Amino acid sequence: MKIVETGGIPMELILKTDYASLYFESNLKLAVCVADEEYIPIDSFKSLFLAVSDLLEVKEIKHFVFDKRQLRTFHQPSMEWYFAIWKTSVREKGLVDHYKILPPLDWFVKAVDAGKWEIFKKYGSDIVNGISINYVDSIDEVVLKLKG
Amino acid sequence: MNVDIQYYKEQLASKEDMLVRTASYLLEAQTKLELKNKELSEIHEEIFDSIRFARLIQTSFLPNTDVLKVFLKDASFFVKQQIGIGGDLVFSKNTGHGLVFGLLDSTGHGIPASMLSIAGSLFIQEITSTMQIDSPAALAKLLNYQLYSTFNKTELSLAHMEGSVFYYCSRTGKLKYSSAKGKAIYLPLNGAITELPASKDPVGQSPESVFDEVEIPFVSGDKLLIYSDGLVDQFGGPSDKKYNRKRLLDLVEQNRHSSVAELKEIIEFEHNQWKGDNTQTDDVSFLIIEL
Repeated sequence: MKIVETGGIPMELILKTDYASLYFESNLKLAVCVADEEYIPIDSFKSLFLAVSDLLEVKEIKHFVFDKRQLRTFHQPSMEWYFAIWKTSVREKGLVDHYKILPPLDWFVKAVDAGKWEIFKKYGSDIVNGISINYVDSIDEVVLKLKG
Repeated sequence: MNVDIQYYKEQLASKEDMLVRTASYLLEAQTKLELKNKELSEIHEEIFDSIRFARLIQTSFLPNTDVLKVFLKDASFFVKQQIGIGGDLVFSKNTGHGLVFGLLDSTGHGIPASMLSIAGSLFIQEITSTMQIDSPAALAKLLNYQLYSTFNKTELSLAHMEGSVFYYCSRTGKLKYSSAKGKAIYLPLNGAITELPASKDPVGQSPESVFDEVEIPFVSGDKLLIYSDGLVDQFGGPSDKKYNRKRLLDLVEQNRHSSVAELKEIIEFEHNQWKGDNTQTDDVSFLIIEL
């Protein structure tokens, strides 16, 4: 498997699709999904996140970063699947910390707020219970925090 | 190629969907904000209605200058509480043999200060109505006892007043004063203007407080300016600084021979000019008398 530099430490590239890449760092038990394109179609999105679920079982991942800085389109059905189905399943598999990196664009942040607002209205705000969600500016920030 | 076209079509559709959802979210947020804004405006209006009414009540405690002028050649005062109501109190009471008058500045601002100011006014009325008061130091001491035992005896609430109490005896023609950290300037018809010395204790803080009594020898035409610290503590001017005592002394010196009414106008105008667009720093009041 190819080794790449991500977040200042060498990380193993687990999966590469046309739209995103998934990396893993064993010492920190950290997985990082990096969006490489402005938009990720829902099928590709699901396959990436299901790969994370598989990693949880075989590599005991505790921390997960979703780096969305390249994204320019917020896809509501993908986000709904992510909140309502994927998060519930990974919580049961032991994923503790979830980090997100948003593009530095106010309109995108507002679109995320709008998406979450709709999901919370539909499923209730309890949907995020049991998993810690943190917004950070870089992968380095998470790596430094985990290195303690 | 077909895959690319499909990808961009899907992305475009998702962008449109994102825009519609975001617009809907922002519209609802705006509606909620407008509702909250309306609620806040109503609460704001209710509070200001209450303050307007409270201001009327507090204003009714101010003395009648016509009564002051029965004993004094001339008199005028100015009161501008920071939020319409406040802690500055100008008072006078005809004792039968003379006139008790003065100015007191309660701790704090706004509603609590106005309550303390009204309590002080009522205590002065009670003391001067039930006892033959011809000593300003005695009045300060009795007021000190009333304020302390009411507000600070069991729990120190920091409620107290600073200011000066005067007594003019119409039989002897003598003027005496007692100052509890009060601020006053004496303007003799001839000679240098002077700041009257003040005791270090405020009224109402401690039962041990001491209030000196001083007689002011005067000639007809001498004037007295009694003021609260809000007048000299006002921020403003070209460098946004406090007005300060020195500027007030200079202003009074330059206009010492103006009539009481003119001097009042001059000080009020100067205060407003200095304040400019700044907020009022404190309650502001002053009393000018001519003997």
